[in-house]
Amino acid sequence: MPIAAAGHVRSTLDTYLICAVGWALPGAGHLWLGRRQKGLIFLIALPLMFACGLWLEGRLFPFELTQPLVALAAFADIGVGVPYVVAKAMSQGAGRAIAPTFEYGNAFLIVAGLLNMLVVLDAFDVAQGRK
Amino acid sequence: MTTHLGAMVAFALFVSVVFAALMRDAPGEQLRFGLRLFGGLVGGGILAGWLLYPLPF
Repeated sequence: MPIAAAGHVRSTLDTYLICAVGWALPGAGHLWLGRRQKGLIFLIALPLMFACGLWLEGRLFPFELTQPLVALAAFADIGVGVPYVVAKAMSQGAGRAIAPTFEYGNAFLIVAGLLNMLVVLDAFDVAQGRK
Repeated sequence: MTTHLGAMVAFALFVSVVFAALMRDAPGEQLRFGLRLFGGLVGGGILAGWLLYPLPF
């Protein structure tokens, strides 16, 4: 994989492809750009945080536009990419509201998705030669 | 990890690791920044908990 030197600008298509890959698999965008250490950290930490959220019985919120806060939480959840799809496919993330750890689980799931969005933005900046 | 403190510490750990990797490039700086952030999150959480303790609601 090519290493992005600071100041090296990639084509628009490349940049968006890197962002898409980085969204789908946390850290993959950085790995693509040659930032191996950061990519591996994100690849391990974010799916693990997401898994902890599921273990703590958090809920993967549905897209209910009639409830804007639920829809926003769903948007944040999906930010983690493939782990979200895998969890949904395995019927995980139903959430148990009476569990003592329910709100912690939600926080882990939502923040894992939001952090991955920040990681994607960082990959975008690197691909654009800004970092 | 299913205690309040355990969940908070785990949350702080994940957030610190990711932010340290995002905000700093050199491994040494990442470690220092991550430790400071982790300490701030956990210490701040405990401090906020004690400050809120006397509140009746």
